[in-house]
Amino acid sequence: MFEKSLYDLIRGLRSHKGNESEYIQGILKECRTEVRSQDMDVKATALLKLIYLEMFGHEMSWASFHVLEVMSSNKHLQKRVGYLGAAQTFRSDTEVLMLATNLLKKDLSSASIPTMSLPLITLPHVITSSLALSLLTDILPRLSHSQPVVRKKTVVTLYRLALVYPETLRVAWPKIKERLMDADENSSVTAAVVNVVCELGWRRPQDFLPLAPRLFELLIEEGNNWMLIKIIKLFATLTPLEPRLVKKLVRPLTNLIQTTEAMSLLYECINGIIQGGIFSATENAGEGDELAALCLGKLRGMIVVENDPNLKYVALLAFNKIVVSYPALVSAQQDVIMKCLDDPDISIRMQALELVSGMVSTDNVASIVKRLMKQLRSSPINANELEDDGLDSTPIEPMADSDGEDPAEILIEDQRTSEMPPIPNDYRREVIARILDMCGQDKYSNIPDFEWYLEILVELIRLLPPRISSDTDLSNSAVESVPGTSLAERVGFQLRDIAVRVKDLRPEACRAAESLILISNRSALYPPVGSGADPVLGFVSWMVGEYSEYLVSPQETLNALIHDSSAALSPQILCSYLQAIPKVFLRIAAKASDGWSLSERAAISLLLARVVEFEETLSTHPNLDVQERAVEYLELFRLVTEALSSLQSDDRAPLLLTSVIPELFTGLELNPVAAGAQKKILPPEELDLANSINPRLSSLLQLSRTEEDAEFDDEAFQAFYNEREAAPPVKAQNLKASVPKVAEQLSYQAAEDPDISARRKAEKRERNRDDPFYIAQGNDDSGRSSPIDILRGSNGKDLDLDAIPIVDLRLDEIDIRAPGGQTEPSKQKRPKAKRRVEIAADENFDSEIPSSGNDSAPRSYEAGHAFPSGKPPRPRKNLLQVDSSGLHQLSLIDDANADRFNLQRREEEEAEMAAALKEVERMRLEMQRAAERVETAEGVDAEGTVVKRKKKRRPKGQTEDAQGGAAAEQPPEETAVVKKKKKKKKRSEEEAMRADT
Amino acid sequence: MINAVLVFNNSGQPRLTKFYTQLPGPHLFRFADVSPKSLQDTTTQQSLLSQIFTLVSARPASACNFLPLPPLLSQHSTSNSTSSSSDYSDAPTQITYRHYATLYFILISTSTESPLALLDLIQVFVEALDRLFENVCELDLIFGFETLHAVLGEMVVGGVVVETGLERIVEGVRASEGGMKGKRRSVNEGAGMAARMEVGAGVGWRGVWVRAQAGR
Repeated sequence: MFEKSLYDLIRGLRSHKGNESEYIQGILKECRTEVRSQDMDVKATALLKLIYLEMFGHEMSWASFHVLEVMSSNKHLQKRVGYLGAAQTFRSDTEVLMLATNLLKKDLSSASIPTMSLPLITLPHVITSSLALSLLTDILPRLSHSQPVVRKKTVVTLYRLALVYPETLRVAWPKIKERLMDADENSSVTAAVVNVVCELGWRRPQDFLPLAPRLFELLIEEGNNWMLIKIIKLFATLTPLEPRLVKKLVRPLTNLIQTTEAMSLLYECINGIIQGGIFSATENAGEGDELAALCLGKLRGMIVVENDPNLKYVALLAFNKIVVSYPALVSAQQDVIMKCLDDPDISIRMQALELVSGMVSTDNVASIVKRLMKQLRSSPINANELEDDGLDSTPIEPMADSDGEDPAEILIEDQRTSEMPPIPNDYRREVIARILDMCGQDKYSNIPDFEWYLEILVELIRLLPPRISSDTDLSNSAVESVPGTSLAERVGFQLRDIAVRVKDLRPEACRAAESLILISNRSALYPPVGSGADPVLGFVSWMVGEYSEYLVSPQETLNALIHDSSAALSPQILCSYLQAIPKVFLRIAAKASDGWSLSERAAISLLLARVVEFEETLSTHPNLDVQERAVEYLELFRLVTEALSSLQSDDRAPLLLTSVIPELFTGLELNPVAAGAQKKILPPEELDLANSINPRLSSLLQLSRTEEDAEFDDEAFQAFYNEREAAPPVKAQNLKASVPKVAEQLSYQAAEDPDISARRKAEKRERNRDDPFYIAQGNDDSGRSSPIDILRGSNGKDLDLDAIPIVDLRLDEIDIRAPGGQTEPSKQKRPKAKRRVEIAADENFDSEIPSSGNDSAPRSYEAGHAFPSGKPPRPRKNLLQVDSSGLHQLSLIDDANADRFNLQRREEEEAEMAAALKEVERMRLEMQRAAERVETAEGVDAEGTVVKRKKKRRPKGQTEDAQGGAAAEQPPEETAVVKKKKKKKKRSEEEAMRADT
Repeated sequence: MINAVLVFNNSGQPRLTKFYTQLPGPHLFRFADVSPKSLQDTTTQQSLLSQIFTLVSARPASACNFLPLPPLLSQHSTSNSTSSSSDYSDAPTQITYRHYATLYFILISTSTESPLALLDLIQVFVEALDRLFENVCELDLIFGFETLHAVLGEMVVGGVVVETGLERIVEGVRASEGGMKGKRRSVNEGAGMAARMEVGAGVGWRGVWVRAQAGR
């Protein structure tokens, strides 16, 4: 039988251009049989092919037992293939791993260094806590192996053991420390130890403080740059714990910065200084400023002098770290940073972008935004960019090499060319989000000129990239402060926010909104592709409705609102449209009624007919929200139509149109209310919701409802048809149950008396005074109402504020509580004399109640607007992330502090370990018919701790392994003998088993 | 630490994949309709590979050698904007790559590694390969699959760098190769190599920051 080698496989692949996958399937089939072969050569070759194909996504977990077989081969090269297979495909849950324990033990004590290295470099890939437990005693002695190659690998392997089995460090740490302290140690080993200590260091910095003198020594020696970098990184985590270190470090670090030629070391020195907070710690000595100047100068040099994008990138990274605590220092480098904003490299731009948004201020916001806008304008929107959903599961098939590429080409790093790539949509999104962030910061406190910013916002809409298909992808963009909110929504939100907050700018904002809503402007103001900007329409339509008095051409606006194409918009936008239509219509009608004439009447009728037609199409809309609103307003408009048509004289517009319906929409001005404000309203003390106010309430309600309905028919409709002056009752909702009855206790006794119905009616009016849905009869023009607020009858009564159960509502009081303590941003000095504007702050209460969440931070006057209540989702474990949580509880300062671990924890641990051992045992039994036993007490070392620990655990282990337990009880020497015997026995068993298979 | 070392060519064909931390199981995935069996590690590896390839291949040669995190890795990450503080973590945060002729060398690592040093590490890796293969090219790596892994095994163990000295790396690999010499020659015959260009001198393909380092 002829078997293909890996070489043949690859050659075969290259000659099967076009049908590689077919070829591979054939190969896989061959491998399946070959790997079962008795011939170890064939087996190993087949395995190597499988490992190669695994790289292309061909699952080979089924072959794990064969991997184990090849691992146990006596020939080193075959063994190597086996270990490679294990490293590449075994996972901690691979079951055959338990069978490998003895093999690993054997190889770890091999006389040949290459063979010994194999388990050392493979173990980090497969290690489990139980495996670590049983192998620890075999690995540990390798730390004092004569060859540095072995020692350095052992150090790292022990580190990986510690990650899954923290107890490892208890015994291994003293020895690792010994390696570090040994001045005569091979430099590679020292470097490896430093690497490991650096990895451990950030997890438990306090344990490594005692090492500081030795590390400092190594730092001064200026050995290997790689090692110096790690030492500096380690020191950066230590300095916050030991301020005295700073003093010692300043000089050598300064020295390194000034003398080193290696940019990486220079950079890491600066980085270490930043991360270790050495700037601030030395500030007293005056050295801090000097050091800061030196670092910033070097960083600046990295950007300016060396024309290397990598250096630029890392320098910006460092700036980004500084800007958090020293924005002023970074602002001084503004010129170079701004240049980086236009760098051809997107990564550099992103960093620069992050940086500028950290150092934005009133003075530079305009120039930054100008730069960014220029970038956005200059590049067309990429509509075809594929939004990769991240899980492209089409496997990569090994391909024959395409002709264009010569795989024989020698590896030479690319020459740098300079072409300008098109702006990817991700970047575009990021830029827009940053602009919105920068400008919206602290309630627009950075904006020098709102007219300018309105223009920017309007222009941004045109530059919006197409919407991303799924919302989850938004998480890519870090700056999306509100998850799930699209950029278009944010632009729209800010437009509306400005209109609400900045009263002085309302006309301008409204005109901007008008221009955005007009159909004729769509092609000019909206992005040419995609419907990504549509959400803006929802916001601007609200603006044109609410502030319709500022509209230049209400007629046009209304035309746009009731345009045929509007009906196809999303339900959310349509709802907003439906609310805006009557407001704009009434504006037109009000204008017309000033000089009411026949022609005006005709025009209004015509317009009305079109509005009705539009609403009719929506009255069957599948979305219930839209449908409900459409039907409600349709009825209203039909009433108006009727009123218009039944109009007898042409000298006056129908009252319904001029005063009754407008009252629905006018009233108290809407102000921004802080998100948490509602919660702070204290319920009045006398409010007792537990007790019913009137025990006979239900029967009374029953009674009054029937009466009211009758009355409604009698009076309301009579009134509407006979006396035109009277207000039409839209719908007298019976809200008695929900009307706040707190302020005035109403007497229901009157209802008992049928004679005094007049009094009852008065009371009813009184009751309904606070009912927003109730339109009081016979009210005059002065009645004010608002869609969401309280409609008030105006029978000479003022706003009855004490009817509202609130503590301290400070309406109309401008009080900007910007976090920076700056009360009125407009008062800041500006280069040019700009229009002074006032930015309304969120309305809030200064009550003593501790507010839940941050109510000053989000600016919203719309409770429903997605500001989720604070808590970010618990971070999931990231891909590729190593789980080192166990290490956090482990202290390395051993012996003296060992008793820090209280007894209880130990017991728990032991119980856990016993359970784990039981599980191991069970699995073993399952997989091996031969009765092998777990060695609970193997490898008793001279190290006292081990013996102690084992002894403590033994009582539990005994139940499952009497033999092992007995062995542990013997003195160390004897144990070793027993162990050896056992091992022999085991090996023979294993071989027997292999023969079986 | 280093989370993964990847090598692939200009068309995204993997030449080396080494993951030092385990990839998560299928439970991380949102697709319920795909059978769990097909969502093994390998699948995740492949999608990660293709995501990185998509990112890296879109970059012009003039761009810097640092990649943003691909979607698979940035799934939960609290953004590099806010977490760029001094806090380290176990999550991979940086991807460093270098492009040599037809191959991309990629390192995925956590923030405990220095970005510039990683670039040098790739450089050392390639230099070591070059030493072992004499004017290394992609074909050498395809056929010298095992040696490729061995070189990496001498440099990085369990995600921690253990050796950066060129000599010692080469020495270590040679020791473990033993009688492998003949194999490679036959590869070259079959492949029908075109003229090989001079690589070793390679001053031009070293970044500035390599100067004082690679040799030590």
